Amino acid sequence: MPLRLQLTGITKRFPGVLANDNVTFSVKPGEIHALLGENGAGKSTLVKMIYGIMQPDAGEIAWDGEPVVVASPKAARKLGVGMVFQHFSLFEALTVLENIALGMDAKIPARELEARIRAVMSQYGLLLDPHRTVATLSVGERQRIEIVRALLLDPKLLIMDEPTSVLTPQEVEQLFTVLRTLAAQGCSILYISHKLHEIKALCDTATILRGGRLVDTCDPKQETSRSMAEKMIGAGLKDIVRQPGRSMGLPKLVVSRLSTRKAGHFDVAVDSVSLTVRAGEIFGIAGVAGNGQNALLDALSGEIISDDKDAITIDGYPLGLLDTTGRRKYGLCAVPEERNGHAAVGDFTLSDNSVLTARDRLGMVVLGLINSGAAKTYTGKVIADFAVKALGPGSTAGSLSGGNLQKYIMGREILQKPSVLVVSQPTWGVDAGAAAAIHQALVDLAAAGSAIVVISQDLDELLALCDTLAVINLGRLSGARPVGEVSVEEIGLLMGGVHGTTEARDAVSA
Amino acid sequence: MLFRLEKRQEPSRFMLYATPVASVLLTMVVGAIIFSLIGYDGIGAVREIFFTPLTNAYKWQDLGVKAAPLVIIGVGLSIAYRANVWNIGAEGQYIMGGLAGTWVALATYGMTGPWILPLMILAGVVGGALYAAIPALLKTRLNVNEILTSLMLTYASVQLIYYLIRAPWKDPMGMGFPQTRLFSEAARLPTVIPGTIVHLGVPIAVLVALAAWFIMSRSVFGYQMKVVGAAPHAARYGGFSENKTIWLALLVSGALAGLAGVLEVAGPFQRMVPGFPTNYGFTAIIVAFLGRLNPLGVLFAGIVMAITFVGGEVAQTTIGLPNAATGIFQAMVLFFLLAGDILVRYRIRRVVANPAAGAA
Repeated sequence: MPLRLQLTGITKRFPGVLANDNVTFSVKPGEIHALLGENGAGKSTLVKMIYGIMQPDAGEIAWDGEPVVVASPKAARKLGVGMVFQHFSLFEALTVLENIALGMDAKIPARELEARIRAVMSQYGLLLDPHRTVATLSVGERQRIEIVRALLLDPKLLIMDEPTSVLTPQEVEQLFTVLRTLAAQGCSILYISHKLHEIKALCDTATILRGGRLVDTCDPKQETSRSMAEKMIGAGLKDIVRQPGRSMGLPKLVVSRLSTRKAGHFDVAVDSVSLTVRAGEIFGIAGVAGNGQNALLDALSGEIISDDKDAITIDGYPLGLLDTTGRRKYGLCAVPEERNGHAAVGDFTLSDNSVLTARDRLGMVVLGLINSGAAKTYTGKVIADFAVKALGPGSTAGSLSGGNLQKYIMGREILQKPSVLVVSQPTWGVDAGAAAAIHQALVDLAAAGSAIVVISQDLDELLALCDTLAVINLGRLSGARPVGEVSVEEIGLLMGGVHGTTEARDAVSA
Repeated sequence: MLFRLEKRQEPSRFMLYATPVASVLLTMVVGAIIFSLIGYDGIGAVREIFFTPLTNAYKWQDLGVKAAPLVIIGVGLSIAYRANVWNIGAEGQYIMGGLAGTWVALATYGMTGPWILPLMILAGVVGGALYAAIPALLKTRLNVNEILTSLMLTYASVQLIYYLIRAPWKDPMGMGFPQTRLFSEAARLPTVIPGTIVHLGVPIAVLVALAAWFIMSRSVFGYQMKVVGAAPHAARYGGFSENKTIWLALLVSGALAGLAGVLEVAGPFQRMVPGFPTNYGFTAIIVAFLGRLNPLGVLFAGIVMAITFVGGEVAQTTIGLPNAATGIFQAMVLFFLLAGDILVRYRIRRVVANPAAGAA
């Protein structure tokens, strides 16, 4: 049987970078093949060439043994390549059926399409009502639409780009079941992820890229997560170092009955959230994306100002009525989830981005004038201390890779020595090496006596990092529990909205 | 052979400065072709419009006088546009500044003293700012688009001139002409170079551009304007209020348009006349963009636009070009500039079909 996909000597050069350098690997029919690598290792570029979004500068792609030129995504779909992107392209106001119909290359009558959708759904256990509006669906359900959309084309190779980053543990299990069924029927799967234990659980083969080059093709079941991570970053992985026997101090950040108003139609507001974080504590907030995390971060950072001055206090001092600048002066710094355009301005230099949040705490402003020398010095320190790969403080934020920009942003806030730091998705889309550095910096900041709140969808991250854990669902926060006393299943149920009661999850009927 | 646009890793600084120059050059070439095609001496038109004002030393003073209001208004607009606040009504604010200055000049008619001119200028600045406050209020309170309100208020201000100079402010000795009386000596802008028409507004324009450049590049105010325009969400995260920024942007651009208005009425006009609105406020929009929304760039762009104004007048008399030709040349500059802007962020690459692909 010929190989499903064979890449030989694929090379792709961009101005200034060699994104893929002579990459050769193959995928067998029915194989679940992992593509592993740090951010900027060239995974996305490689996948884009397989899916016809880009063309290789050199090298050859063979499909079922025949050399092919994949001129466009349409050509790729015709060959039998399906792709599920990390970011969904769905219209929230339309139904599942309408969304799928819009993405089809061929025009199929709605009735026939619906029948085919239902057939695919029941075949793979992807339960979903085709007539529901996308806005009412959870992220996991939205992902199912994308998978169904890909499966309708009867793909022989399905590419999944970081599919589990937004799913609950139960949803991940369901997805794996679907993928295993597909593979058993002969469909090959190219699975891109950072989550090494998932790759160990799911994949037959793993191809590891580093700096555009292929470093190893291995059997993940024979490897440990650690050995794969070390191949990815090309160096020994550091563990989070915690001082033994540290104790928490007095309550530092106290939030009581914090609520926000719903801003947009599909917005989820924060509903009477209360929590207490002690000095030295890392408080984790788990939850599936779109359950009010953004509103919670904005309400804590001061982008959304509360009506009640006592809704947020630090060491008893009320901050509820202050804006972000005011709260920063009292030691509350925050890092929102979206890096470009929210936590940083892509068009500005890193130095100017430092002025954005550090100008008052670090005295960068004298008589209304910006001391650009001070901003440059501070930015240089952030770049050095957090090993940010940038040409210097004069580089624009937009020119940095996602992971490097995140390191810069985290560094910019942490080096201000905030007494309370609130971060959302601190390592989202960040490679293992950078994630470890960010985690260590958070642990060190807590050890120095700061109170830290980490909002994340990555449960592994929260379990490794936090002392205390709570779950946000539809804007409400569950009770806080010490990390050692709570099971993954329990958290998963809370993330899915089951609060210990027999609350029926809205039935997924097809 | 195909061409493809490819995103640059960093915006090109070279293109940032090269495209305004290229747009002016392209305008000359295309303008020459168009006017030749419709039966004029196209090359002559370009020569008269773009070069005669520079080669003829006698025209330099005209250039300064025309450029001054364009630069002052353009600087204000460049600040507002940086913050993505689209004040299109600088012409109206310019008129209100002129009217406010006229009001002081008429109220102090016959008086003398060095305080009259500063008071007029203050009135002009406040008048322009207050008129821009209307779109600001509507935008921040009711979310009404400032492009529409500022533009429509321009037409209201033109009508206000006509009313004032026909009735309450009409020159009693003017034999019925709709205009105010000539301002007294103390209410007229002095010339700075004896024997020319170069008035105090010209050095003021240079000072305004330099001061604005310093403020925009060094101060928190400038930073606020830029960050709100570049990334409103990040600005809020950084602690800058969007509404406050809208207010500041409109007040500053309105105040500068008002300043230009009062300098114009106290300088070249020395009385309020129906011909006072000369579209400086609209041309300044081109000036702001041509100057890359940078106050120093605006200074040069103001001079370039002034050249087309002065040259347009020359071409009217020498080769009989219609007055509208000036507008066409100015519009072409803006058109080519905006079209060329894409080269700042993208580069053009030739796509060569890969001959190796497909051959097994």
